[in-house]
Amino acid sequence: MENCRILNRIVEINISNVKYADIELSGNTCFVGTNNFGKTSLQRAILFFYSANSRGLGISPSQKPFEEHYFRYENSYIVYEIATEDKPFFVIVYRHNKLVFRFVDAPYSPDFFFTANDEAMKIKEIISNFEKRGIYISNQIDTFERYRNIIYGTETDKQLSKFHLLKGNEKYQNIPKSITNVFLSSKSSVDSRFIKDFIANSLTTESSSIKLEQVERQLRQFNEKYSDIEMYLRKESQQLIEMIDKKYDQVHMLKGAQMEMADKLGSSLRFAETQNEAIRESAKKKEEELEVLEAEHDAQKEHIESKQNEFREEIGYYDRTIRDANKKLKEYKEKNIEQAVEKNADREKLQVELNIARREYESLTSNVASIELKYSSLIEQLRNDKSAYINKINSRTGEVFNHYNELQLLQKNEYNKRDAELKQKREESLNEVNAEVTAKQIEFNELKSEEKVIRNTRFYEQEIRNLESELAELRAVNYKNKSERAIKQNMVQTLQREWEALELKLKSSLSNRVNQTNNEIIKIRNEIKEIEGKLDVQHDAFYGFLEKNVKNWHQTIGKVVNEKLLFRTDIAPELKQEAADTLYGISLNLEPLEMVSKSIEEYQFDKNERLAQIRDLEESLNQFQTANNEEKMLAADKYGKQLGELKEDVKVLAYSLELAEKREQKLNHEFEDWNNRAGKEVEESLSGNRQRLNLLEEELSILSKKKNLVLSDFTHQLEKLKVYSDERLSELKGKQETEISELEVDKKNHVKEFENKEEELVKEKDSNFKSKGVDAKQLKNVEARMKELQEALKEIEQYSQIIHDYLKDKRETFDKLPDLIQKKEEYMKSNADLHAQLEESTRKYNMKRMELNKQKRALDEELIDYNNGINFYSNNFRDTPVYTKYSDIIERAESKRTNYHIMDLCTQMLKNDSHFSEEYGAFQRFVNEFAGKFRFDNHFNFVIRNDASQGEYERFAQNLRSFINENKIELSVAETATQIGLVTDSIATKVKELSGQKDKIQHIISLIAEDFKKAEFEESKLIEFIKIRLEESDNKVYKLLKRIQEFREENGLVYNEGLFNTDFATGQKREISTRAVKLLDQLRTAIKEQEQEEIRLQDLFELKFNIKEGMNETGWTHKIDSIGSTGTDILVKAIIYITLLHVFIKESSHRSSKDFKVHCIIDEVGQISAHYLRELLRFAKNRNIMMINGLPNKSGLESHYKYTYQFRREEGNNVRIFPSIVTEVEA
Amino acid sequence: MLAEDFSLPKQTHEIFAVMARGNFISSNGSRDGMNRLYDVINNPDNFDRLQAYFNVIRYNIERGNNFFYFSKLHEPNSDLEKKLERFERYIDIIDLFASMDNKITIGSRFRPGEIAEECNANVRLKQKLQKIPLYRSETLHNKVREICELMSRDSYLELEDEKTESYKVLDSYTYLLDVVNAVAIYEDTGNTDNAQGLIYN
Repeated sequence: MENCRILNRIVEINISNVKYADIELSGNTCFVGTNNFGKTSLQRAILFFYSANSRGLGISPSQKPFEEHYFRYENSYIVYEIATEDKPFFVIVYRHNKLVFRFVDAPYSPDFFFTANDEAMKIKEIISNFEKRGIYISNQIDTFERYRNIIYGTETDKQLSKFHLLKGNEKYQNIPKSITNVFLSSKSSVDSRFIKDFIANSLTTESSSIKLEQVERQLRQFNEKYSDIEMYLRKESQQLIEMIDKKYDQVHMLKGAQMEMADKLGSSLRFAETQNEAIRESAKKKEEELEVLEAEHDAQKEHIESKQNEFREEIGYYDRTIRDANKKLKEYKEKNIEQAVEKNADREKLQVELNIARREYESLTSNVASIELKYSSLIEQLRNDKSAYINKINSRTGEVFNHYNELQLLQKNEYNKRDAELKQKREESLNEVNAEVTAKQIEFNELKSEEKVIRNTRFYEQEIRNLESELAELRAVNYKNKSERAIKQNMVQTLQREWEALELKLKSSLSNRVNQTNNEIIKIRNEIKEIEGKLDVQHDAFYGFLEKNVKNWHQTIGKVVNEKLLFRTDIAPELKQEAADTLYGISLNLEPLEMVSKSIEEYQFDKNERLAQIRDLEESLNQFQTANNEEKMLAADKYGKQLGELKEDVKVLAYSLELAEKREQKLNHEFEDWNNRAGKEVEESLSGNRQRLNLLEEELSILSKKKNLVLSDFTHQLEKLKVYSDERLSELKGKQETEISELEVDKKNHVKEFENKEEELVKEKDSNFKSKGVDAKQLKNVEARMKELQEALKEIEQYSQIIHDYLKDKRETFDKLPDLIQKKEEYMKSNADLHAQLEESTRKYNMKRMELNKQKRALDEELIDYNNGINFYSNNFRDTPVYTKYSDIIERAESKRTNYHIMDLCTQMLKNDSHFSEEYGAFQRFVNEFAGKFRFDNHFNFVIRNDASQGEYERFAQNLRSFINENKIELSVAETATQIGLVTDSIATKVKELSGQKDKIQHIISLIAEDFKKAEFEESKLIEFIKIRLEESDNKVYKLLKRIQEFREENGLVYNEGLFNTDFATGQKREISTRAVKLLDQLRTAIKEQEQEEIRLQDLFELKFNIKEGMNETGWTHKIDSIGSTGTDILVKAIIYITLLHVFIKESSHRSSKDFKVHCIIDEVGQISAHYLRELLRFAKNRNIMMINGLPNKSGLESHYKYTYQFRREEGNNVRIFPSIVTEVEA
Repeated sequence: MLAEDFSLPKQTHEIFAVMARGNFISSNGSRDGMNRLYDVINNPDNFDRLQAYFNVIRYNIERGNNFFYFSKLHEPNSDLEKKLERFERYIDIIDLFASMDNKITIGSRFRPGEIAEECNANVRLKQKLQKIPLYRSETLHNKVREICELMSRDSYLELEDEKTESYKVLDSYTYLLDVVNAVAIYEDTGNTDNAQGLIYN
């Protein structure tokens, strides 16, 4: 029994194909057996004792796992017995679902595990057995970790703490790692890389490496984002964005217009379909109304005209009567009727005077009555003769007069007759002409009134009014939209200003924080530098001197010395015994004083504390930056969204204003068009009227000419007739006068004769009277007066007839003239009233007729238009793809009257569609080109599939617009900037962490080098020396990682503002960022090229050996396989392993724990020579290491081991392990 | 004259290797860092240097809309004829691409399967595809595949994702369109013996 702790024995019970094996291990042990007999399996089982890691035993993944291969049965156990200073204890490993451990405080005995029949018991039985026997058995240890803690003496449970192999320190994990590594790499060639791995693996855990896949992923993510942003910011991309935006608007507008039109088309179609019958009905109704109106008008016209005729007749009658009366009156006046009437009034008086004169005459002549009678009878006779003659002549004259008068009368009658005939003819002709003129005039007036009506009529009034109201509405909406747009634009500006202000605030707070942190870091770094300076010089300084030469100097000198003095190297301290415990000979009580000096550990602690402070500062800066970014993002999110919405609204408003403007233009155009059409309609209607009016005017003027002609013709004829008649009359009168004057002359002659005779008789009488005394003079006077009176009466008698006629006419006609005139005027007025009434009614009729005609025409036109439209739609539109595209809208539209024709709508839609196709093609091209510039999985999600629908293309444009409006690129830039910071930071941290272990490596290497030096190679002179040294790594990836770390330290955390060529990218920042990007890019390329999965500790340095064996010196080299023979190589390798193991065990165990031994398991040492083996075993022994080796067969080498076990395969493929009887030559 | 005298970018060899094969370097190409190569050439300083350098070996860098290619100084007529023949076969292909529902334009991404499917569903397209004379593939899909492979070889397309067999149309497609658009087709009247089917202007 050794007086130290060691794995004493391993017992396999039902393990793999070994039923039972009890192998002692307290010295160098050798396993001899051909391949595949289980040597390695046993070695693994031993290794498991040290490593307790079933995954790290070098079992390939294709093989069964340790648990399944070894612990096949319920009663499979591995027992490890550990010898201690007093009594041994053992550990049972068995499978209870997973592998578990139990510690037993007793030496191993097979009785604990086997029944009397040599059957292995189940664990329960075993435990109860122990309990029965009063042997302590621990509870089940479930985890490998806990087991290791117990074995390596770090378990705190007092009951278990005694079951340790050695007392390890916090690095005890290196011991199982080292033992494992030696075992696992014993077959490889000896390469410094392996040693590196060995050292590194022993120092590090699996996680302490830089996983390049992770770094590459981070770099790729950053690089992809960076490329995406760079691509986005390019001029060509921006141009494409503008084009997409513009085209999208156009496409959108066109689509909107098409949809609007489709809706109108649908409405118009529905309306046309529903209105067809109704329009027909309405048109028919209008026709009937027209007929009724015409009939009513005709009846009224007839009635008024008949009345007019009656009035005209009355007027004619009165007119004629008045004219005749006036004519007669004129004739009477010409005959001096008034004088005659006056004279006629004196007739009675003259008759009385005549009677008086006669009676006077009779009284005078009563004396000479006989004479008187004789003479009177003579005179009377004479007078009678004379009268008879005169009468005869008179009658003759009368006859002549009458004859000619008769002729004249006849002539006059003839003239009158002819005149009347002519006049009648004239009247007839004139009447004819007048009637014609009147008709024309009526027509003329009608046309005039119609013109007036037309002028007053507003054609297309409804359409124009609709347009006016639509325009007014549109203008109102426009006004509203304009003001809304202005408000929103203001809001956009305000928000933008707010956003900018916030960003500025965030930026400045970040830069302040960065500056502040950097300053603090610089300050702390300076402090660290100072501490490091102190630590560097402490060996050679006063401090080092005190450490070496003065015990507890911190308690004495440390309390009074100036700290600066401690680290001065130029004061050459010297130890003088006499002045001990005094200050220049003066003794001081230093109890109450505090210590000024610090231990190296305290300086180290200060340094670490400051490093931690820097880390904290950086961490807090990182957090601040993240928070700042988050705030930025929140602001971008908040403002961006609002701005985006507002901008979108502004755009929508601008778009609707633009549309409205276009619509207004269109409506204005339409309005003008309708006005023009209305004007044209008026003109057209008027032009017909005007033509007719002109014609009528012409006709009227012709008629008036004709009338004049007729008049002049008739006047001429009448004049001619009159001239002829006058001539004839004057001729007759002349003849009459000639004949009468002849008769008068004759009469005069004869009368004179009679008067002469009478005078002679008078004279005779007078002479007789005289003779008889009668006053002849008086008689004569009476006679003269009588004669005079008779003459007067005679004259009066002459006009009696005409006066009689006159008086009769006067009574009957002339006195009634004013009444007649008044009556005529009344009739004329009534006639004029009727005329006006007729005119008014005609005007009304015309207006109404026109209105109805217009309505009917409109209905007809509408009907034609609808039918044409429907036909056009069915023949030329229904089968086109345009219909298919908008069929939903067309079919779903409500029936509604629109201002558009179906045909126009169809044509326009077809035209628009071809335009739309062109524009859409361009839009699609731009989107494809833009999206194609980016990676398929770009982080902006600018992707469009080839078979994308129109909607998807439009959504792409919308998303792009939102992206711009919400300024998402800024967010992306900020994210990417943060990412580059984080990536470099993460790389720097990892590199720093990993590089931090380089010191440990350096330490280990120096220990190994020391150990090599201590090796007693000189004795055998086989190996003169083994030297080892550390060099800088030539790993390209690591170098780049290191450069990134340096860069990070040089430039601090924040250098992201110049990442892209944006506004705030200043020259310096841009340069730094470009360098960062370039470095990351180089790293990514290097990772790709190098195809390394991770950067481990071993990649941080290069290890070189220089070995001299005999005359052979390898020089500084990575590989040591070419030192000499294979045996030499194995030996050197084993020496190196043992050295490594020794160093690690020493480093990882507690200083107090010295009495223990561990095993170094190296398989296959068959090629080593006996001499070498001995050397090797001694080398190991000197380092408290026992060797466990494998040999393929017995060759004498086994004699150098304390224990040799042989392997034999038995029946049932079982393997038996049994000790070989050999004598140890040297142990 | 040595390459160093020109202070050439380090990608010069790579650029030459691509363009000397008659291929294009497009700005929207991503395979083998094509976009980076484009950026390198597009840098005005680099361009002048590269141009001067390649001119020495009788190559001229031509700049298209977002792509570059080589033209040879004093190219023999036989080579020109070969080139023309190559373009001739593209007429039908471009016609097919332009007749698709969603026209294939620069930046478009598609899979041959999609094109074949559309051709299968549309008689007109199917006829167009079948009319393309160079290929012997039996199925439409394979025919489209071969077209895509040909175009990829000539660097008009790029196989963006091998797994999904997704192609992207590169900027150099403009060159193809320009050349094919510049081709005037004359009908053979049969009057002249040397009547040409194609005239390139």
